[in-house]
Amino acid sequence: MASEIVLIGRFLRLWLDRLYLYCGYIAATALIIILILVSLQMAARWTGEVFPGSTDYAGYFMAASTFFAFAYSLNNGSHIRVNLLLNLMGSRRRWLEIWCLTIASGLAVFWAWHAVKSTYWSFKLKDISQGLDATPIWIPQLAMAIGSVVFALAIIDNLVQMIFSGNNSIKVRSIGEEE
Amino acid sequence: MEHLHLVMIFLFVLFLLLGTGVWVGLALFGVAFVGLELFTTRPAGDAMITTIWSSSSSWTLTALPLFIWMGEILFRTRLSEDMFKGISPWMSGLPGGLMHTNIVGCTVFAAVSGSSAATLTTVGKMSIPELRSRGYPEYLIIGTLAGAATLGLMIPPSLTLIVYGVTINESISKLFIAGILPGIVLAAMFMGYVVLWSFIRRSEVPDIGLGFSFMEKLRKSRFLIPVLLLVLVVIGSMYLGFATATEAAAFGVIGSLILAAGQGSLTRQTFIDSLLGATRTSAMIALILGGAAALSLSMGFTGLPRALAEFIDELGLSPFTLLLALMVFYIILGCFLDGISSVVLTMAIVETMVRQAGIDVIWFGIFIVVVVEMAQITPPIGFNLFVLQGMTGHDIGHIARTALPMFGIMVIMVFILIAFPELATYLPENIR
Repeated sequence: MASEIVLIGRFLRLWLDRLYLYCGYIAATALIIILILVSLQMAARWTGEVFPGSTDYAGYFMAASTFFAFAYSLNNGSHIRVNLLLNLMGSRRRWLEIWCLTIASGLAVFWAWHAVKSTYWSFKLKDISQGLDATPIWIPQLAMAIGSVVFALAIIDNLVQMIFSGNNSIKVRSIGEEE
Repeated sequence: MEHLHLVMIFLFVLFLLLGTGVWVGLALFGVAFVGLELFTTRPAGDAMITTIWSSSSSWTLTALPLFIWMGEILFRTRLSEDMFKGISPWMSGLPGGLMHTNIVGCTVFAAVSGSSAATLTTVGKMSIPELRSRGYPEYLIIGTLAGAATLGLMIPPSLTLIVYGVTINESISKLFIAGILPGIVLAAMFMGYVVLWSFIRRSEVPDIGLGFSFMEKLRKSRFLIPVLLLVLVVIGSMYLGFATATEAAAFGVIGSLILAAGQGSLTRQTFIDSLLGATRTSAMIALILGGAAALSLSMGFTGLPRALAEFIDELGLSPFTLLLALMVFYIILGCFLDGISSVVLTMAIVETMVRQAGIDVIWFGIFIVVVVEMAQITPPIGFNLFVLQGMTGHDIGHIARTALPMFGIMVIMVFILIAFPELATYLPENIR
């Protein structure tokens, strides 16, 4: 029995980590697409063509790049927090981490829930973008919904790890090591 | 203020969440929720997510990841070697000698990167060992580097200015152009300090005895010239109105990719690393911006910004006193928060106040950047101090002391900005 739980645990660990990483890759791809869109738009302007809605599309990919990268950035330790108190806690740091992760889980779940809800209503009401692109808005919002859910999942994942093992998968990096 | 106790609860939650270490973006989101629940009967979640969606899918914001990516690409090239080799021959003749490479190097890299940590690492990687080996005093090497690296935030492209512009809905190109002159003046003041040092402490100045002919200098800096061209294209295209900030950023990314390829340092691995690095940093900032968008929505309902602006109005403070008060406030805030978070967190309140006092918001952007830059070199939380600690092994307190004169210079810079606002307003007003 116990060995089965361990096995399921390992399996989950593997898949969750992959999920975060692949979402990060999707976000990076969205960034490349932004670059291409902006370049195309400039090229179009210089040659006297129009690329209707290009700024809206770039905006959608900006959102995709943002939301898909949330979970991935979290585990890479990129998200900023005030470390002062955490560092002062010493051996009791774990309890403060649990407090932070609990609050963060609540907020992220709330955020994700509303992101999903608002995307669902955009779909249901067939909302169309105000811009020239006339995109059904639920399509780009899907990125927000998925990204926010994965982000909430990643935080809960870290909370569970913190409670049971006293550790989490958020890399601690010395500030400035990367940005 | 009619709901004083509610405001107190609101502020208490803000400090509680931020202070205990909840991630800044989520903490702001949480405070926004509390505010909306306390002050309105509107369904908080729906209003917040609508605001977050429209702020995070905006066209203006796309400049952010592109500029970050540009810096990430150049960060991974041989640029830091070329920087020292290319700049030092030109500096050897100045009083104070090669010490100036720290400052000029930071100024040049600041013009391709929007972050001061990246500027510091790129320049310091070469200049610290080179200057040490030539016998320059350690305290000055570290101090000037810590100070000059903050130029990364002021000289365009600047992440802090993008975030500021997005938060208050002002043109990013204008803000960038506004940062050029103050950035150069600040760099000149840092260099003036080095010159002063070379006269007062003559004994500390090592004799390097380097003399180069003009052609030799040019040959040594040939690797630097493409970078300078890139800077010129990126900033020039914005100034001349060929391109918006986002388009200039796209130029920058393509240009730096070509530059890296030309150098042979563009491998599959560095490309992927730079891309993922940019994705992470931009997601980090976007999370804060998302939380801040929700917060400023909520802040509007609390009535806090308006009440504070009216309060300041009644006090009859002169703009000068107001700015001094804000400077002290931001320096204190900067002891605990990074620059971007403190800009984003406070603009929801300060914007109303500043506009009411009749202060030009473009000018104020430059002011706020200088002030949060100072926070980069003050303990306990100063990013530049941490980076330098990692690079040199000295403790934070020591590094902060060596950077103290630079802090003083930046305070003088604030007064210069107040006395000569044209420094920041002239160029953007005459933008094509």
